[in-house]
Amino acid sequence: MAPKSRAPATTPSTTAPTTTTASTPAKSSKSGSSSAPQDILTGIWNNYVNKTPSRVKLLDTFMAFLVVVGALQFLYCIIVGNFPFNAFLSGFSATVGQFVLTASLRMQTNPENSKEFEGTSHERAFADFVLGSFLLHFFCVNFIN
Amino acid sequence: MAVAESESVFTPATSRNTRGMLRVIILALIAAAAVSSRLFSVIRFESIIHEFDPWFNFRATKYLVQNGFYSFWDWFDDRTWHPLGRVTGGTLYPGLMVTSGVIYHALRFLTLPVDIRNICVLLAPGFSGLTALATYLLTSEMVTSPSAGLLAAAFMGITPGYISRSVAGSYDNEAIAIFLLVFTFFLWIKAVKNGSMFWGALTALFYGYMVSAWGGYVFITNLLPLHAFVLICMGRYSARLYVSYTSWYALGTLASMQIPFVGFLPIRSSEHMSSLGVFGLIQLVAFVDYVRAQLPSKQFQTLLRAIVLFVFVVAFGGLVLLTVSGVIAPWTGRFYSLWDTGYAKIHIPIIASVSEHQPTAWPAFFFDLSMMIWLFPAGVYMCFKRLTDEQVFIVIYAVLASYFAGVMVRLMLTLTPIVCVASAMAFSQILDTYLDTKTPKVDSKETGSSDAAKVAAAAVLPDGLRSTRKPVVGIYSYASKLTVVGASAVYLLLFVLHCTWVTSNAYSSPSVVLASRLPDGSQHIIDDYREAYYWLRQNTPDNAKIMSWWDYGYQIGGMADRPTLVDNNTWNNTHIATVGKAMSSREEVSYPIMRQHEVDYVLVVFGGLLGYSGDDINKFLWMVRIAEGIWPEEVKERNFFTPRGEYRVDEEATPTMKNSLMYKMSYYNYNSLFPAGQAQDRVRGARLPAQGPELSTIEEAFTSENWIIRIYKVKDLDNFGRDHQSATSFEKGHKKKRTAKRKGPRVLRVD
Amino acid sequence: MRWLFSFVLATLLAAVHAVSYTGSRLLVVLEDAAEKEKYGVFLGDLESRGYHITTESPKSDKLSLFKHGERAYDHVLLLPSKAKGLGPALTANLLLEFMKKEGNILLALSSENGTPSSVNSLLLELDIHIPSDKGAVVVDHFNYDSTSAAEKHDVLLLPFPKALRPDVKNYFGGEGVIAVPRAVGQVLGNDSPLLAPVLRAPSTAYSYNPKDESDIVEDPFAVGAQLNLVSVLQAHNSARLAVLGSAEVLQNAWFAEKATLNGQAVKTANRDFSEKLTSWTFKETGVLKVGKLLHYQDEGVSKKLNTSGALPENNPQIYRIKSDVAFQVELSEYSKTHLVPFVPADSDVVQLEFSMLSPFHRLNLTPISKTANATIFGVSFKTPDQHGIFNFRVNYRRPFLTNIEEKRQVTVRHFAHDEWPRSWQISGAWVWIGGIWVTVFGWLAFVAVWLWSAPAEKTVKKTQ
Repeated sequence: MAPKSRAPATTPSTTAPTTTTASTPAKSSKSGSSSAPQDILTGIWNNYVNKTPSRVKLLDTFMAFLVVVGALQFLYCIIVGNFPFNAFLSGFSATVGQFVLTASLRMQTNPENSKEFEGTSHERAFADFVLGSFLLHFFCVNFIN
Repeated sequence: MAVAESESVFTPATSRNTRGMLRVIILALIAAAAVSSRLFSVIRFESIIHEFDPWFNFRATKYLVQNGFYSFWDWFDDRTWHPLGRVTGGTLYPGLMVTSGVIYHALRFLTLPVDIRNICVLLAPGFSGLTALATYLLTSEMVTSPSAGLLAAAFMGITPGYISRSVAGSYDNEAIAIFLLVFTFFLWIKAVKNGSMFWGALTALFYGYMVSAWGGYVFITNLLPLHAFVLICMGRYSARLYVSYTSWYALGTLASMQIPFVGFLPIRSSEHMSSLGVFGLIQLVAFVDYVRAQLPSKQFQTLLRAIVLFVFVVAFGGLVLLTVSGVIAPWTGRFYSLWDTGYAKIHIPIIASVSEHQPTAWPAFFFDLSMMIWLFPAGVYMCFKRLTDEQVFIVIYAVLASYFAGVMVRLMLTLTPIVCVASAMAFSQILDTYLDTKTPKVDSKETGSSDAAKVAAAAVLPDGLRSTRKPVVGIYSYASKLTVVGASAVYLLLFVLHCTWVTSNAYSSPSVVLASRLPDGSQHIIDDYREAYYWLRQNTPDNAKIMSWWDYGYQIGGMADRPTLVDNNTWNNTHIATVGKAMSSREEVSYPIMRQHEVDYVLVVFGGLLGYSGDDINKFLWMVRIAEGIWPEEVKERNFFTPRGEYRVDEEATPTMKNSLMYKMSYYNYNSLFPAGQAQDRVRGARLPAQGPELSTIEEAFTSENWIIRIYKVKDLDNFGRDHQSATSFEKGHKKKRTAKRKGPRVLRVD
Repeated sequence: MRWLFSFVLATLLAAVHAVSYTGSRLLVVLEDAAEKEKYGVFLGDLESRGYHITTESPKSDKLSLFKHGERAYDHVLLLPSKAKGLGPALTANLLLEFMKKEGNILLALSSENGTPSSVNSLLLELDIHIPSDKGAVVVDHFNYDSTSAAEKHDVLLLPFPKALRPDVKNYFGGEGVIAVPRAVGQVLGNDSPLLAPVLRAPSTAYSYNPKDESDIVEDPFAVGAQLNLVSVLQAHNSARLAVLGSAEVLQNAWFAEKATLNGQAVKTANRDFSEKLTSWTFKETGVLKVGKLLHYQDEGVSKKLNTSGALPENNPQIYRIKSDVAFQVELSEYSKTHLVPFVPADSDVVQLEFSMLSPFHRLNLTPISKTANATIFGVSFKTPDQHGIFNFRVNYRRPFLTNIEEKRQVTVRHFAHDEWPRSWQISGAWVWIGGIWVTVFGWLAFVAVWLWSAPAEKTVKKTQ
């Protein structure tokens, strides 16, 4: 099944999903819960635009681009058919794989996550990302023949 | 380990270096022990490939080394499954052959020309040393105690459960696959602990290597997602898990699809759906987590969780729908029979007939694992003390592997690594506690604060054992330490003894050469198999087709180098059923089948003279069953049993039995070995009738020294168009009788 | 010297009209040496054709069909003898052995002398039935010779046989009338395709034993065209056995006799017929030989199939599925002295089977060209879409012609990994190729921008 287009999560290290004692105060939510979902979405969007660093936004644009490419390919497959199946798989997996690699890079370089990834410098994360991408591209090109 | 005393020699730095060196030396010794304990058969007999399956791998490796990689990739084998042939390049797991080929070329590059046969024979012991190393690495990731890793490596090196499939000469996929299995697990744990894409990519690469090596890679494909899923369910989702799992899945699945034999299976078959499902799930969970960080509201929490649940259910339902509608293949026979153990016997008799696929008897656990079998649950239990992410993996692996090992005896092999790891953890805990010369002091502060607690506890709880409050010996006294350490040492020694004994006696037989003891104690080698195969090799035309039961196909292809009709690959059930039908029918029925398939020689294994019970008459009912599966009208298993329901070969045998080709071939001329009327079949313990069977369509070509292998040549069509029965009877002197009275109207000849 | 040599060769050649394809040693088994003169002209004809004749009595000690495991003679002519048995050297099994070693037998029966037991069992084993009572003859009230058998009607005058079927060549045709005196009729069983009738009795004939006292024959052995006067068997290895119902056909007395058929005076043409019969039985006619057989991959570049052009590497062991293959075979027919190009009968074709367990292709071979002594037949086709081990098989079995059974095994393999069309050659795959490269270039652009852009924060503190 195709993974839905999502942005990755940055996680605090709390582990219990049942209890929802969030770290940030719930004051702002009080006002949000009563208003329309429209406002919630704009709230999320404003939060996102203001708070995230530009590098992370760069990552997010790249991921959005990949999502678009992947969706286009999938749409083409549904409409026209998947005749060279290996071609479909390799094209689609290239976008999906690149997406998850970028998402992993985002997680590793996000300043909010620095506690989680203490041992990994950003350069190291980036190097890993490049290595993974090389492997991905190699496999895809080989698979599509 | 013991904390360094403040002596000038043992400063922290040098002691660390010494310990490191010591570790390296110990690991090297373990590897040497692993290799040498697998060499029994090479020393006793010779460097020869064992059993059946390794002969095919050996033949494939020879082809690879002679013709190069691309020829191997495109290899169409026209000397098996005559006349269908086999697209071997696309229906095998190339990892083993390619590894041997690489080693061969590497050694030649270093100007060490080692014969390919020796490389193949010694590959498994070599990799077993590496497996011990991988087990060490894996265990070190699980617990901080350094001795656990070394113990695990030692256990893994000599445990019979692993040795059974990796002795010198057992050139089978498991030889490298177990190493890759353990090493992939190690890399996975490292990836989860670090949350690094690098380790995830490395896991994917080794996973790809494992896919190219063994069909049991499905175990990894299901275990890692299960681990991730359990962690998510336990509420331990973290970014590290996301990074490691997704990078493994994306790269690993792509890598596995490069192998032609696997092809599109990761998308198409049920066995791979769990990893895809968890991949999707983890994307959802990551998204939910991200959104939750943005919007810390309880209400949206529950709403989003409901959405997640809904999406998951929809996805799962979609998966089920696709499986039911056939787009995704359901669990295939071999793997399905792991869940439904009665399935194979009824529907796929070929799978049920393999002796390795039978359920495990309980002594086999002790036989293969010795004392680790009781240390293993202790080790798993100890994981629950702290239960880090890695230790969850141990628990899951242990449960799953125990189930599978109970279902199929062949899967004891996948249980062995985790048993070694867990029992090493338990054992090292004992040793760490008791080998410590220091006694931990009870803190005075603690006693003060805990007094009140203790009193309160004592008031609530009933009185404990007096021995725990005022022990006579105690845990930390020298006497108890000595006793426990001494006992552990004895256990370890017994373990080694047991493993070596089992290896030497049970798992080191090449099964191509049989050994027995003469009355005076000396060894008598029974080499009938090779004698017969080499007769075929030297006395038949290059293209002579051999028909035999599928067990011997690989050996005939490897040693006799002749085309065969069916072999151990068993990919075509109808072809095997054709051979089964030919073996179990009368000569008049089997002769046209043999002519149609251009069979020149028929080979049959007969153990009646020696008492060798692995012969074809004992396997005969499987031939009948498989043939009956395709031709239920013509071959009926019931007809081979006497009216009382017995399976007899003497005078009481049913006419169907007596006329079947297999019976005739086995007992043809057998009574010439005995005084009249006293022919005895030592395996079935039956006295055979005085008049032996007669053959008209085939003639005896070769019988080995102890009558184990008998080879017959198929006669050409009679020159004058007669059927062979009449032809042979005419030659014996029975002339045709003229029909005196004509029955019915005259049949006119039309020309 | 050379002229002397060629002169000698010429004289030798002139002396020989025809010679058998398989050898010239002929054994005549004749019990009574005195009877030899009765067959004098016949035997003289045989000798003049180049046979070395040895005459032996069946009871003689020297008589042995085999020597050192090989056959001692190439052909055997069994003339009727009065004795009940033919002796230990000529049992039915030994005669069958002789044929298994490709020896030919011409068996002449006689109604007066009866058939020896070994001949009886031999014929019965081969599914040729003769009347069980001694003295049965074939009688015809409409086609008899009024001169010699005016009352008994047991000398038949028959025309030369016609072709058995339109697609079978006739080696026994001729002009004239054959006299068959006092013949033992044969009936051929239905099961064996190896049997063929040569000279059939006319539809008004029947088998009759003069000793039988009754006026009407109620259950005759056989009647009409079911009765053969001369029948032949050609075994799988092309050994030939001819059963001649009446040995007197070969006797001098009947070679050029004046006879009367229905009031017309005719001259018997037995000499001609016996020559035709013996030349067929002793493999001077109706012998096919296979010359060069080749198959090759027809790349399509040179479609010329004659032998003048250079052929690609031929008789390879392995082909690929769905590829073009051409096949050629040279067939010659041996005609008494030399090989001539083989021309099948009018409605007959030689066929090629390309088969694995059962034929995937069965194609007619067409004659492409002729050499001095062979016809080249050929065909081209496409290998089927099934990989496996196939056989090129020419299986040509016709009555009166030696059998051709040629099999060549080849492997037909699957597509190699680099024989599939490349991805850019498949139009449907362009979108995904584009997808991959778009991803790659986007990734490169991203990497460039990332490396150029400033880090989000100061780099993480290095670990101690």
